[in-house]
Amino acid sequence: MVNVNVICFLASYSVVLIMELMRLLGRSPVRRTIMLLFGTAGFAAHTLYLMNRSNQANLPPLLSSSHDWLLVLAWISILMYLFLTTIDRNLAIGLFVIPLVLFLIAAAYFVSDSSMPVLNVSNLRDAQQAALRRWVMLHASLLVFGIAGVIVGLVLSLMYLVQHRRLKHKQTMQRGLRLPSLAVLSRWNWWAVIISVPLLTLGLATGFGVAFLSDEAVPVSMADPVIMIYGVAWAVMAAFFAWLLTTRRPAGKQVAWMTIWAFGFLLVTLVGLQVLAGSGLDSFHAGGTRDSSGLV
Amino acid sequence: MNLQVVYCNHQTAELDIRERLAFATSDQLSNAYEYLRSHFPQTELVLLSTCNRVELYTAQESQDDAPSHQDIAHFFSDFHEIPLTDFFDDLLERTGPDAVRHLFQVVSSVDSMVLGEPQIVSQVKEAYRTATEYEACGPLTHALFQGAIRVSSRVRTETGLTEGRVSIASVAVGEFGKSIFDRFDDKTVLVIGAGEMAEETLRYLSNEGVRRINIVNRSPDRARALAERWPGAQVHAYEKLEELLVGADVIVSTTGSEKPIVSVGQFSRIRRNHLDKPVFILDLGAPRDFEPGIGQIDDGVFLYDIDDLETTCEQNRIARGTEVERALEIIDDETDRFMREIYHRATGPIVKRLREQWHDISQTEVRSLKSKLGHLGNDDLKAIERSMERLVNKLLHPPLEALKDEAREGTPHGLLDALKRLFHIKD
Repeated sequence: MVNVNVICFLASYSVVLIMELMRLLGRSPVRRTIMLLFGTAGFAAHTLYLMNRSNQANLPPLLSSSHDWLLVLAWISILMYLFLTTIDRNLAIGLFVIPLVLFLIAAAYFVSDSSMPVLNVSNLRDAQQAALRRWVMLHASLLVFGIAGVIVGLVLSLMYLVQHRRLKHKQTMQRGLRLPSLAVLSRWNWWAVIISVPLLTLGLATGFGVAFLSDEAVPVSMADPVIMIYGVAWAVMAAFFAWLLTTRRPAGKQVAWMTIWAFGFLLVTLVGLQVLAGSGLDSFHAGGTRDSSGLV
Repeated sequence: MNLQVVYCNHQTAELDIRERLAFATSDQLSNAYEYLRSHFPQTELVLLSTCNRVELYTAQESQDDAPSHQDIAHFFSDFHEIPLTDFFDDLLERTGPDAVRHLFQVVSSVDSMVLGEPQIVSQVKEAYRTATEYEACGPLTHALFQGAIRVSSRVRTETGLTEGRVSIASVAVGEFGKSIFDRFDDKTVLVIGAGEMAEETLRYLSNEGVRRINIVNRSPDRARALAERWPGAQVHAYEKLEELLVGADVIVSTTGSEKPIVSVGQFSRIRRNHLDKPVFILDLGAPRDFEPGIGQIDDGVFLYDIDDLETTCEQNRIARGTEVERALEIIDDETDRFMREIYHRATGPIVKRLREQWHDISQTEVRSLKSKLGHLGNDDLKAIERSMERLVNKLLHPPLEALKDEAREGTPHGLLDALKRLFHIKD
């Protein structure tokens, strides 16, 4: 098994960010080649790391721990980045995506790398255990894809605001910093919200299913801080979703700001809670304190 | 092998001269190629004629067949019936690597009036296609023009020379309009005034697919004249201006009014019920037609005046200027590469023939030895044969190296002639 650690891809993505920043100095095929090489190498290392972790835990990456879960989110973001950067050399999406990826990887360092207690209970029958796993898998998958949509929405909104500011201030398009038009950004952002909020809602609902199924083995309280705060974040998202659907042609800049506030709040809350859960917060989601050996 | 170009362009000749020397129609081009083919049958030819330049590229195997600068000048004079004295001083000539470098600079738009303008590539491609159609091209011009197209692509990819727009209308539509809207075919354009700038902007908008165009002007005749040139354009009475402003997505204003024709108050009323809809206003009038405060009414109003657009044009021009040096480095590199290939092509047949000739001699000697020394076994004969081959290669090495060294500086005609004479190599 190839020995890969978080530092391998964290360093690669940092180089990619530096190369992305160098876009502002002008176009260079050498810079782009280095950027794609490091991006691809980082992505390969990232994939190997997740596979190794999954094999060690004998669980899919989404279930093995919060640490892996955040890394899966970063992995999806990098995959989207590499795809878009390869097909459009001028699109400056990396300047917005890579910092978020680095944030997720850095956050993964501080969260638990042990699997959720609900997956380790021994007093359940095999059939119950299998059903519980399926529910947890569904719960985690829906949430991860919902949050991937949140990240997309966040990135699009940031791009919208940068583009809007440029146009309002009548500034020249910075070389190597081409962004899509406001109309495109606005439309994609709308879709990101429309897709991610139902996914998050279903993710939350399946979470209740998990709680129900595991109740006799690991009692779950609705007063669990993680569940409560997620509930609040979801309510904010749902309100935003309802506003978006009921408002006829909302102004793009307003949608962008609301997306940033709502999605930013959700992302910070989610990552913050995972960090707290990993450092002793009394929660159903806590998987114990992190094992630093995961990094080396 | 010889390459030349005789040309005049915006740097050497005034517009009236360029206009008189141009080959503007396909008939003129056809006649020109006919004339040139009959007068210079051994010469490959490509004629490039645009509004900024008239250039005739010629190439031939032998220097003796090359049309001189004077010959080409006479051709221009005879063909266009212009006295030679009117333009002879404006005609320049480049030969060999300089001619190659010149074409590479032209096709890369380093030599253009508007640095980095993209049309020249298609103009060069078209000139090459036409020359091929009239069977005026040959191996040298094929290699030259295909190389030129490759160079332009390299310059475009590796430098920012063609990035950023440099005319008011293209900046307006390309840098700002297309950053607001993703499509224009569903947008309504309102043109206020009927000046040249309005028309040029409409041309760019039309290229983006605009179909609904409303025109208002104090003089309905000029508005109608403009509308006739744009299919689907409708002329409206000036009194309907406010009503048309409400429905417009793009507004292009170019009136000669001394005072703003749209005030902040008036436009605020118009926007009151349309805050969700972006509106792109190009105020190309001087003095301005829209009060500057209109741009601050809400987040959906994007107002640009002539100074804003000119500032962007100037920034893009400066940015392109900084890329010229990198483009010239690429062009020099490609010129050297092209010349090396051409010279290699020129010396290749002589080298091949010389090798064949000497190897034939060595084979003959081996055969003669074999018949004289019958007691020698096959292994002995093979050893002798190998020794002869080595001897031939060692003897050929110094002259071929000398030829290679000379070829770095240009076609080594003198050395090639010497080799031909010394070793009796026939063409």
